[in-house]
Amino acid sequence: MPALRVDDLTKSYGQTLALDDLSFEVREGEVFGFLGPNGAGKSTTINVVLDFIRPTAGRVEVLGRNAQAHSRDIRSRTGVLPEGYRTYDRLTARQHLEFAIESKGADDDPEALLERVDLADAIDKKAGGYSKGMAQRLMLAMALVGEPDLLILDEPSTGLDPNGAREMREIVREENARGATVFFSSHSMEQVEAVCDRVGILRNGEMVAVDSVEGLRDSVSGGTTLRITVDRIDDEAVQSVRALSDVSTVTIGSEQPPTITAQVEGSKTAVLTALEDHGVDVRDFSTEEASLEDVFQSYTTGTEVHAR
Amino acid sequence: MSTDVGSGAGPDTTATDAGAGATAGGSPSSSINPASVRAVAKKDFRDSIRSWVFWGLSVFFFTLLVATTGVISYFGEDIAAQGETTEALVAMVNGITRLVIPLIALILGWKAIAGERESGSIKVLLSLPHSRKDVLLGKLIGRAAVLSVSLIVGFVLAALVVVALLGSFDIVDYGGLLVMSIIYGLAYTSIAVAVSSLTRSTTVAGAGMIGIFVLFYILWDTMLVAFMTLMNMGYLPEGETTAQVMLFFNSLDPGMAYQNVLSLVTSVGDLDGQTVMMLENMFGSVPFYLQDWFAFVILLAWIVVPIAIALFRFDRVDL
Repeated sequence: MPALRVDDLTKSYGQTLALDDLSFEVREGEVFGFLGPNGAGKSTTINVVLDFIRPTAGRVEVLGRNAQAHSRDIRSRTGVLPEGYRTYDRLTARQHLEFAIESKGADDDPEALLERVDLADAIDKKAGGYSKGMAQRLMLAMALVGEPDLLILDEPSTGLDPNGAREMREIVREENARGATVFFSSHSMEQVEAVCDRVGILRNGEMVAVDSVEGLRDSVSGGTTLRITVDRIDDEAVQSVRALSDVSTVTIGSEQPPTITAQVEGSKTAVLTALEDHGVDVRDFSTEEASLEDVFQSYTTGTEVHAR
Repeated sequence: MSTDVGSGAGPDTTATDAGAGATAGGSPSSSINPASVRAVAKKDFRDSIRSWVFWGLSVFFFTLLVATTGVISYFGEDIAAQGETTEALVAMVNGITRLVIPLIALILGWKAIAGERESGSIKVLLSLPHSRKDVLLGKLIGRAAVLSVSLIVGFVLAALVVVALLGSFDIVDYGGLLVMSIIYGLAYTSIAVAVSSLTRSTTVAGAGMIGIFVLFYILWDTMLVAFMTLMNMGYLPEGETTAQVMLFFNSLDPGMAYQNVLSLVTSVGDLDGQTVMMLENMFGSVPFYLQDWFAFVILLAWIVVPIAIALFRFDRVDL
């Protein structure tokens, strides 16, 4: 049973189509990164999952139950860090957590939860005076109440500094290790690649790719790009490089000194050796891997990618 | 305003309409859970009110009672002689609370739901396992509690002064006014929370509160006057039916019901013998809607109907 199953989900606001026949699954026990630029429909999807808004068409199942008919049951087993929320100005962090603990019928210790998100100092301060980052930590602590089976985190890094974002990822790992499924959305690949087992990329309300992080990397790049600066161009040497089975494309730069750029999947040394065997002097070389950010860009901006 | 669901699924979603269609009515999601309601009410009581509002209201009710008592003990020697001081106090205070309680309830309830939708804090509430009905009822109870508890504090503290100043004290009359004031406040809180749940804009909700205020303070009476004028000018048939409709209409006003219902619990506001005789001459007997039990039914209806409509509707909207 998948932790989350979205089937042909469509949501329209009048003429505007926010989600267009969206389908995907989040497997039990995995960390799933839900990626897309702002406005792609991530929050709309999460709002349907939480029954904040109702689908125009399609079906959503969370923990095996219909998201609309059994929302209360679902939310009692789910921890949520929503997007566009606001904390209660006149309640302290402790009171927020007491409310969440009472609401979920849990028996957590507010102090211990705030300790985990590094907000224990402000436990008795009213949330009205919190910075965005502090509010975000408080909401994360509320999401952790009652050891939920599923964590839904909508842009959890918002307002956090790099250190805070790292701590947040650490908590995601801990919760996942405990057995929780984590579904978390972000507009930045950087936030998800370090923790996610799989990533789905949303664009204009449609899922354009769902794959593991490695799979995504492989799907757009021909492996590693090897850039070699040589003393001269020798046709025979270039031919011998092209002949290598691990090399897909070879291009020659005309600048001085000349460079040879090759897409290599296997051994880079084989390329260098082939050149040197033909008496070409290798002065310098560098390798570049396609970054996931490039992958993300290529999917979400619609520019053509050099897929195999 | 948001789009309603259910009908939104459209005709071309043959296999997948269950998700959108199965939302309403009877399903576990839209059920009411007392523990949930209590949690929301408690949170709302703690959060919605700056403590000075609560104490300010308590002081206000206290002062109102003590000042009225002072006026009675200073001017009202005749009243005192007749030993009807508490009765006079209840009648005078009722005249003022009738106008003031709605204002307070509307202001307290104004942002109850619209404010949370506008700011996004309702997402905090509904990320937890509460149904939307739990949220509405919890809000109603939380806000009504602020008004009720300050009424109780004000009345109980003032009782000591009333006893000291007036000498005599009828606890049934005094307690009756308190209980009916709480119920009256609950009715207006129900109206306010219901109107607040219709929109996600506090501006629109505020306009709604002004609308309610104008309706019951100005329009209701104006309509009666208009009726009367039309009847006098001969545009409406002068007769029993017209008079019945007007009296019935008049008795539906929650403020009128609040005033009439006092006779159920206190010695204030009973129809005097002359009126009863006049009514019996006109209609054969005192019509049911002029009897005090009916005023109580009206008050209860003003609690139940607005929140019931809100409960039904709020389950069906996008937040």
